[in-house]
Amino acid sequence: MSANFGPPLAMELLSAIFPTSPVLANVSSKATELFHGSSILEFLTNSVLVALLVLGIVLWFSRKATKNMTLIPHKAQNFFEFIVEFLYGQLVGIIGEKQAKLAFPLIGTLFIYILVSNWFGLIPGVGTIGVGDAVGPFMVGEVHDPLLRPPTADLNATLALSISAFLVWFYLTIKELGFMGFLSHTFGAKGGLKGFMGFVVAIVFLFVGVIEVVSIILRPMTLSVRLYGNIFAGESVLHTLGALLDKAGFPWSFLGSVLIPFPFYFMELLVGLLQAIVFTLLCSVYIQLSTTHDEHHEEEGHH
Amino acid sequence: MELFSPISGTIMPILAEGKLDEMTQKFGLSFPKFLAQVLIFVAVYAILKKFAFGPILAMLEQRRQRIADGEAKLEKIAKDLADAELNAKAVLDKANEDATRLIKEAGDSAKSLTEKRQQEAIHEANQILAKARESSTLEHEQLMSQLKREFGRMVTEATSRVTGKVLNSDDQSRINQETSAQVSL
Repeated sequence: MSANFGPPLAMELLSAIFPTSPVLANVSSKATELFHGSSILEFLTNSVLVALLVLGIVLWFSRKATKNMTLIPHKAQNFFEFIVEFLYGQLVGIIGEKQAKLAFPLIGTLFIYILVSNWFGLIPGVGTIGVGDAVGPFMVGEVHDPLLRPPTADLNATLALSISAFLVWFYLTIKELGFMGFLSHTFGAKGGLKGFMGFVVAIVFLFVGVIEVVSIILRPMTLSVRLYGNIFAGESVLHTLGALLDKAGFPWSFLGSVLIPFPFYFMELLVGLLQAIVFTLLCSVYIQLSTTHDEHHEEEGHH
Repeated sequence: MELFSPISGTIMPILAEGKLDEMTQKFGLSFPKFLAQVLIFVAVYAILKKFAFGPILAMLEQRRQRIADGEAKLEKIAKDLADAELNAKAVLDKANEDATRLIKEAGDSAKSLTEKRQQEAIHEANQILAKARESSTLEHEQLMSQLKREFGRMVTEATSRVTGKVLNSDDQSRINQETSAQVSL
């Protein structure tokens, strides 16, 4: 009897619910150029368009929040103050007051820009309105060239963010330690051992320094790919879930495209926030790691 | 070189000819697009730094300073209040002490005055009594003298009537003296 409830029955049930077998939505891994064939406007992609919209949103809201500022804040001012104070407090906790004053504009901008970009991708229409094979008036079977794409789902944008962060990290590090100090910090032996053991430890730390340099060089890549991967994966998941019942016919296709991805929007809200936090937190930790003075240097400094 | 094998094993295949182009094509990497994204990010950075972070951090600092000033003022007011309470207590204590001393002095003074007045009254009363006694004694003596004289006269008169003799002044004087002597006994 139990054989009747085996995989064949489950497949039948599944095929009854989903008349077509689910396949991963065909979400392009790269941003689409808005003007194909124009070499001058090659840079103008759907992700650049959304980045410009994000820029506009940030400009509008920051102006709204900081216009007619008072000691007793109005709503927008209060909200923005909450974000800034929270971020600044977290940053001070990681890299200290001195570095926080220098690094905060970058870290704060990264967080706000990434968060707004990530959440912008969840607005209905982003990735689903665009050019495709027409199946009716203002209707396409599948969107090949979406009009809008979140910037964080474009590797160009995430690389731009991570390389900008890397340059600021390098500037802060050199400003704090100096170039020789940075080399000493990276390759120098720690522990203060002398004699033969000191020599051995120095060799070991030299190799560790080489590995450290490689990891530093790879940081922009890891930061950008992590952010891009998560947001692109989220886009793919939402598109796939939204298109699950596309071939089931009206009204199932409509209901399915609305109801099935709905719970996952909350997950994507969380992922968007989490990725913004991870990116900025890692940048903060990198700054903290490279701008912290070694103990023996500080002791020498005190002498 | 074994030490670097994980690095070379990971990076080198990616950097190998063809792979990088494939990646670039797959993810749509291009310098103009990258530069556009950098410029947009720099613009967001500039906007936020100028319009948001600067003014908001300044406002937060201003508010923090104001709260700190308020706290400092509150502490100063509390300290002043404590000092004022201490001063008031000291003034009250001193006033109490002065009042107690004054009351005691007034009490002492009143007591002394009372005693003085009492003594004066007693002295005066004694004087009055002495005068009264003196006056009484004098009056008594006068009365006694008058009584004696009267009694002598009556005895002389009685004697004259009993004896039927007219007594001369010597007799009268002798009878009076004898009568007075007996009366005084």
